[in-house]
Amino acid sequence: MCSDFHRAESGTELLARLEGRSSLKEIEPHLFADEESPVHGDILEFHGPEGTGKTEMLYHLTARCILPKSEGGLEVEVVFIDTDYHFDMLRLVTVLEHRLSQSSEEIIKRCLGRLFLVYCSSSTQLLLTLCSLEAMLCSHPSVCLLILDSLSAFYWIDRINGGESVNLQESTLKKCSQLLEKLVNEYRLVLFATTQSIMQKTSHPEEGPSCAFNRLSDVDVDYRPYLCKAWQQVVKHRILFSKQNDSKAGNQFSLVSRHLKSNNLKKHFFTIGESGVEFC
Amino acid sequence: MGVLRAGLCPGLTQDMVQILRSRGIKTVVDLVSADLEEVAQKCGLSYKALVALRRVLLAQFSAFPFNGADLYEELKTSTAILSTGVGSLDKLLDAGLYTGEVTEIAGAPGSGKTQVCLCVAANVAHGLQQNVLYIDSNGGLTASRILQLLQARTPDEEEQAGALQRIQVVRAFDIFQMLDVLQDLRGAVSQQVTNHTTRDRDSGQLKPALGRSWSFVPSTRLLLDSAQGSGALGSRRVACLTKSPRLPTGCQETVDLGSWGTPAFQGDHKGHWEQSPVFPGDHT
Repeated sequence: MCSDFHRAESGTELLARLEGRSSLKEIEPHLFADEESPVHGDILEFHGPEGTGKTEMLYHLTARCILPKSEGGLEVEVVFIDTDYHFDMLRLVTVLEHRLSQSSEEIIKRCLGRLFLVYCSSSTQLLLTLCSLEAMLCSHPSVCLLILDSLSAFYWIDRINGGESVNLQESTLKKCSQLLEKLVNEYRLVLFATTQSIMQKTSHPEEGPSCAFNRLSDVDVDYRPYLCKAWQQVVKHRILFSKQNDSKAGNQFSLVSRHLKSNNLKKHFFTIGESGVEFC
Repeated sequence: MGVLRAGLCPGLTQDMVQILRSRGIKTVVDLVSADLEEVAQKCGLSYKALVALRRVLLAQFSAFPFNGADLYEELKTSTAILSTGVGSLDKLLDAGLYTGEVTEIAGAPGSGKTQVCLCVAANVAHGLQQNVLYIDSNGGLTASRILQLLQARTPDEEEQAGALQRIQVVRAFDIFQMLDVLQDLRGAVSQQVTNHTTRDRDSGQLKPALGRSWSFVPSTRLLLDSAQGSGALGSRRVACLTKSPRLPTGCQETVDLGSWGTPAFQGDHKGHWEQSPVFPGDHT
């Protein structure tokens, strides 16, 4: 495995591996203020009910990464792990076509050549895939972004398979979280993972730390942690998505971004058009 | 997937399996996440052999990354959009049902879900000349109704017979039968499912049943409701797009069930064409 190669790496190779990964600071200036830009080793969680724009935001970030520098992109490679089987390639191509000043099949193919898609159908397959991803990351030093849509897809299946023991139920996801943290730190990546709001919101808004942030906490209240502790601990930045339901706001979506260490909360609004996410 | 046994992959002998098992390594995941140096020492197995074994197991059981450009090429040729046969529904669905996706149709009893399914089946079998697998868990399918729909499209009996032959019907009245049928399904398909509705606990609004865990699965959802003023005996319905990966939600279209190749809408139609829903969901 790749760990064997590490021991034989020379100093220059080591530098090449570490220096080679570009910075993702510019990935979305609207979403991240300067101090909080995702840096290498960051794990960000997108959380929200269905239809709130999480996957669209992932297309937006993917497009930002794979577009060439001349068109305003970062020209880096992305690994997209899909556990939902919701990834819509044709939608991504539409987003790219709208963002390119001159779109042609050639350019689209070159952009898509920077994207790697992996489909996983169970949490054990996800774990094994993360293990073999190491080899791929070694050979592709320009991969900077890892996307996982979604991490909670196997939640109920894992719970059934684990029987009565909570430890058993969570063991695979726990190993996945630890492995993700290791990959992200060792290979200096940024991870965006989505989780779905499958639990009902609590009816007592005074519960928990959200009571101290009343203004921005309406969306926060909907967040009920249900994934294993190991995952809660590795997340650095949690972004809660929601959609305004009234007709005045039209098709407006909003997200609340919370940096877990500094506890900074920020709210952003965006709409989704043909060309993808557009911040207001 | 999971338990280590002899012959699972090249290089895994019964002896190795026994030795590993005696040290608590029973599954593929156990072996792959173990510290191989420690295992080699404790079990007396060769470190190189274990590393090779790990590599083979990973190659065999982990998912293979596809390059985006290759995947795009493949999808360009294999994706199809199946028209439902109803212009207003096609408008909401951005031309029709996309292969590779699940489309959900939700509505109260009598809202027309089964009628939509039958109409789509007839259109795909006759208009598009493609095969349809109709899984009925509701008892709402009657062949005579499909024949009626086909008769409205073509007077040619041979064409009607041909279309009927392309529709394969499976009756599944419990979840295990349904899983069996779905396991055997292969090839490029577009899945359309129907779902019942319940009332939301807080707001009292109509919402699809089966809760949040299901709601993430379909890519597209249409909610069917009776049109204002038409009452239970009317034939007009309103279809509303409540979830879509490519169109803004909230669009509505009126759909007239009465115009789908039937004689005048009879008062007792409900007893004839739609059974009262007792089980959640029937699928096409």
